Amino acid sequence: MKPKKTDVNTPLMITVLIIILFFSIFLNIMIGSVKLNPVDIINCLFGDDKSSVTYTLITTVRLPRMVGGLFAGMGLACSGVILQNVMNNSLASPNTIGINSGAGFAVMLSMILLPGNLATMPAFAFTGAFITSLLIFLLAYFADSSRTTIILAGITVSTFLNSGINTLKLLDTDITINVTSFMVGSLTGLTMKGLFLPIICISIAVIISIILSRLLNILNLGDDIARSLGVNVSVIRFILLMLSSIMAGCVVSYAGLISFVGLIVPHICRHLFGNDSRLLLPCSALLGPIAVLSCDLIGKVLLSPYELPVGIILSFIGGPFFLYLLMKKKGGRRLNA
Amino acid sequence: MLEFKNITASCQHQIILKNISITVPTGEITCIIGPNGCGKTTLVQCLYGISKVIEGTILLNGYDFLQLSYRERAKQLSFLPQVRQIIPTLPVKTLVEHGRFPYLGFARKKQKADIDIVNQVMDFTQTTPYSDMCADTLSGGIRQQVFFAMNLAQNCDTIVLDEPTTYLDINRQRKFYEDICKLKQQGKTILLVIHDLSYAVRIADNLIVMDNRKIAAQGKPDIILKQHIIENIFHVKCKHFRDEEGEYYLFL
Repeated sequence: MKPKKTDVNTPLMITVLIIILFFSIFLNIMIGSVKLNPVDIINCLFGDDKSSVTYTLITTVRLPRMVGGLFAGMGLACSGVILQNVMNNSLASPNTIGINSGAGFAVMLSMILLPGNLATMPAFAFTGAFITSLLIFLLAYFADSSRTTIILAGITVSTFLNSGINTLKLLDTDITINVTSFMVGSLTGLTMKGLFLPIICISIAVIISIILSRLLNILNLGDDIARSLGVNVSVIRFILLMLSSIMAGCVVSYAGLISFVGLIVPHICRHLFGNDSRLLLPCSALLGPIAVLSCDLIGKVLLSPYELPVGIILSFIGGPFFLYLLMKKKGGRRLNA
Repeated sequence: MLEFKNITASCQHQIILKNISITVPTGEITCIIGPNGCGKTTLVQCLYGISKVIEGTILLNGYDFLQLSYRERAKQLSFLPQVRQIIPTLPVKTLVEHGRFPYLGFARKKQKADIDIVNQVMDFTQTTPYSDMCADTLSGGIRQQVFFAMNLAQNCDTIVLDEPTTYLDINRQRKFYEDICKLKQQGKTILLVIHDLSYAVRIADNLIVMDNRKIAAQGKPDIILKQHIIENIFHVKCKHFRDEEGEYYLFL
């Protein structure tokens, strides 16, 4: 077994991540159906060129898309880290646990009940996500609460909700969004106004969870030890579960059911930085956006002028990469499993 | 002084213990012994709500311990639970630092005093050489020592350990019991749940014998030995040796 972490120089690695993040942010603004000139972008963002077509393109299309991707990655990755710790299960993620489907179902419902009302979508998504996570959590708590049970319950619930989503789709064909891209996760058609609320919620939740990261570490030691260290396990669990639901729910409300980020990014970070949540959370918050933004970029470029939704690219690239990671570590990591 | 008064406790909705009272005197070592499944662990788990207290009270120095918040409890009494299924994947030092958690403020920033205590307990438990290693790469015995260090880092006057020697080899066991005696000399109150009868009889100032979910005997070891209670409960024979270094009891 390898000692605490691979021989990665942590500060260097974080710097590299930050640089890559800025790079992918910039590329995301630059590249699209129309390639923009870097000088023009800087003029538009920081200069006084407020009237050109480039300016309109950046502020109404590229910027919202980039910001949406940034926060989607951040929210889902952090949500994944929290869920893995809270459920004490390395397989947990907003997707496998069913939180995403719960949020998705609620979003679909909101579009039928209150069509065209953007402001209520995050609230619906959060409620859906939270109820689902609570349900899974209770199932795990009152059933035998073993690690496999949680995942099985999550898969069951998410299949159930996915059929719910599909039923809604069939019943109401006038739904205002493109359901297919919603199901795989896509960053098209975002507006700054619509993003405002989810972004604020995600940022607050990420900050709070980073503050609580030491508690995450302690929860990871198991309930009995956590209690003997003076942690009120049930309350803290509940708070953390709520945070992760807020994050995942908000992301789903605008980006749809982006999968995989919440599972893969935490694992790559564990690989790179070890299992200390104090490091793991901020690093996942860096790597998550990188994953989403670069996959979105690939989606834009690959079959241009056609675009592939980011969710598809994430699964295409993320899946094999994750398998590679799994094969590489023989015997598996013992993240409490 | 730690007192359990008329405790009725349940575990997973099942009542395990009824009307149990024990006393753990201040500044002494008290050992709970008893056959498997007699309720020892359930009893000590009452301290942190892992088993549920239905009736009765637990008094620590006269105060109702169960009325305190978990954090306040963790500052006064450190409890090390039994065998853990969860193996942490953190570096040893980080793990021991968790012992300071109850004392950290909202910012969770370590003070110099916290760091000093962590270093001190790691020296005391001889875990310093493993500081940077990940806990899941350690052998069970050393991991146990690390958890012991974490427990000591809480720096409480009352220490409760549930089967602390399970994974230890014979040398580490001896060392562990010496450490316990040193802690007693520092004025700590210690409650141990152990299976090693010989050591229990040798180091304990008070012995609590449990059988069939009841307290079978409570008192000084020599008195309990004279009454042959241990021999009857465990179906063993007690042999007594003496040499220039002290007295030994062997249970066969």
